[in-house]
Amino acid sequence: MKVIEANKLPGLAAALAGAGYRVVAPIRDGGEVRMVVWSPGAAIDTRAIPVNSAKDFLFPKAEIIGRCTLDGNDFRPEDVKPVAPKTVILAARPCDASAMLLLDAVFNWDYKDEFFNARRAATTIVSLVCTTADEQCFCTSVGGAPDATAGADGVLRQADGGRSFILEPLTEKGKAVAAAAGAALAEGQAKADAPVEVPVHFDAKAVTEWLGENFESPLWREVSLACLSCGACAYACPTCHCFDLQDEATRAESVRLRNWDTCGLALFTAHAGGHNPRPDQAARWRQRVMHKFSYLVERLGRLGCTGCGRCARLCPAGMAICETCREIDEARKAAVK
Amino acid sequence: MEMIDALRADAAKVLADGRAKVVIGYQARGDHRAPLFVTTADRAASLVYDDACKQNLAVYLRKPEVKLLGKAAVVASPAAMRSLVLLMSESQLTGDDALVLAVGVGEYHGVLELAQVAPLLKEKYAALAPSPELLREIEKLAAKTPEERAAFWAKQFAKCTRCYACRAACPGCYCTRCIVEKNVPQWISTAAAGHGNYAWNVIRAFHLAGRCTGCGACEAACPQGIPLMLLNVLLGQEVEKEFETKAGYDPEAKPVIGSWNPEDEEDFIK
Repeated sequence: MKVIEANKLPGLAAALAGAGYRVVAPIRDGGEVRMVVWSPGAAIDTRAIPVNSAKDFLFPKAEIIGRCTLDGNDFRPEDVKPVAPKTVILAARPCDASAMLLLDAVFNWDYKDEFFNARRAATTIVSLVCTTADEQCFCTSVGGAPDATAGADGVLRQADGGRSFILEPLTEKGKAVAAAAGAALAEGQAKADAPVEVPVHFDAKAVTEWLGENFESPLWREVSLACLSCGACAYACPTCHCFDLQDEATRAESVRLRNWDTCGLALFTAHAGGHNPRPDQAARWRQRVMHKFSYLVERLGRLGCTGCGRCARLCPAGMAICETCREIDEARKAAVK
Repeated sequence: MEMIDALRADAAKVLADGRAKVVIGYQARGDHRAPLFVTTADRAASLVYDDACKQNLAVYLRKPEVKLLGKAAVVASPAAMRSLVLLMSESQLTGDDALVLAVGVGEYHGVLELAQVAPLLKEKYAALAPSPELLREIEKLAAKTPEERAAFWAKQFAKCTRCYACRAACPGCYCTRCIVEKNVPQWISTAAAGHGNYAWNVIRAFHLAGRCTGCGACEAACPQGIPLMLLNVLLGQEVEKEFETKAGYDPEAKPVIGSWNPEDEEDFIK
C-alpha cells in the first residue's frame, strides 16, 4: 500500500504541484482551516473541518461566462472558455466528495453546463476518512458515513494513530495522482485508524415523506423565526448550486457573470412588478428544506444535503437544518401516535 | 439571586402579566447560542445568558414575522441597548414598541421601558470602549502605509462571498432595499470579487459611521472571518473626533450621516 508520514503531507502537495496539479487542501491560517490552493509553506490540517466546502473549486462564487467588447457602436461577442486547470483536491471530507455527485446531476440535468463540466473533468478528488467530527456533523442521517468514498477518486486514511496516512486510489484519476506523487508516497504497511462515530439524528426518508404532505404546516413559521435572511448557509453548503446571471458593462466591454445566489434572500424570488411568491422567511426556509429533502429527491433521486453541518456552524442566528429535520421527524412520529 | 434566575423570572413575569407577548432571548444548543422566542411563561426557564451570546437581538424587532407575535421584551447587553437608542433616534422604534431585559456588565438591571435605556447607558456605560486588543489592532493598521493598508483590506475583502450576513446581523442595517441591491443603475458590482467586494464592504462601513454601537454582531456573523470591527471602530473614532458624538446614547440625537448643518466645514471639497 501507498503510505505517507503525516508530517510529510506538504511534500505530497509539493510533488503534485510539481507534476502540474493545482493542489487544493485544508490549510490552517490563524484560527481557521479552509480549503484553499496550497502554496509552499502552507500548513495542511486534516483535523479541523474546513470552513468552506470543496464546491468553491468546481462552482466558484463569481465567474465570467460571457463577454462582449464595445467599440463605439460596434458590439462584438467573444467566446469565453471555462477556466479549468488540472486540479487535485486533497483531503476533501466525504460529505464534500459525495456532494459532487449531486452537483454532477444538477449541472447535467437538462442542460450540460460546460463551465462546471470542464472543471469537474479536470479535477481529482482525494477524500479523507474522518477521524474527527463535531456536534454539527450529521452525515449518517443523510446516507453518508465518515468513511464513505462516494464521489472520491482516491481516499486518504489516517493510520497508526495519526502518524501516517494510507492513500488508496479508487479511479483512473486517483491512480494518476498516486503516480504523479512519485517518491512522496512510499510502499509500506500501516494500520488504518477507526473512523469517527457520527450519531444518527433523524430518518431522512420519513422527513421526505412528511414534506410531501406539509407545505402549509405551521411548523415553518416556528422553525424560521430566528432566520435573518442571508446567504451564509447556502454559500457554505457543498451542494447549494443556485446562481444569478448579471450583465455588467463599462464603456469598453460587457461581461456576463454567474454569481452564487440563495433562496434565503427576499430578492431571490422578488418579481419586477413587486409581488414576491415567497413573502416571508418562513416560505424561504421551507424552500431550503423542501429543495434539499423533497424536490431533489423527486427529480434526481438524491438528497441535496450531505450532513456536513457547515450551515449550522456558520449561521449567525444559530439555525440548523439538522435541527429542523429532527423536529419534522418528531412531529411525524407524534402524528402517527 | 443569580443573574440568570432574575432574568428568567422577569421574562416569565412580563409574559404572565401580558406586558409582552414574546421574550427574545438566547438558548444554548451545545456550545452554540441561538435566539429563543419565548411566548409562554413556562418556557422562560430555557433562557441562558453568557459571553457566548454574540448576536444582537435588537435586530429582530424589525422582522415582520417577529412583529406578528406582538410586543417584544428583548434581552439586551449595553451594546445592544445602544442599538435600541440608535433605532429610537432614527425613528425606527418608539416609546412603547418594546421592553428591555437589560443585562449589564456583571449585573442585571431588570425590565426597562425603552425611555429608561438611555439614562441607564449614560449613568453606567458612558465609557463603554472597544477591547484593548481591538484598539491595538487598529493602531497597528494605522501605522501601515496606505499601500500596505490597501493590501491588507484587499486580502480580507477577497474572502467575502457577498452573503450579507454582516448586514442581516446588524440592527442598524434596516433599509428595506440596500444600496447593493439597487440596479438602476448598478452602483456596486454584483460579483463576489475585486472592486465589487471592496465597494460593498467600504460602503457598509460608511453607512454605519457614527451609527455603529460596537456590538460586534457583524464580525461574529461573517462566515469568512473578515475583521469588520476594525473598520467600524475606526470610523466611530473619526466621527467622535470630528462631531463629538457617539452613537446610541441620545434618542434625540440627529444621526451624523443623515443630518446637515450650514456650519459644517467644507475644506475637504477641492
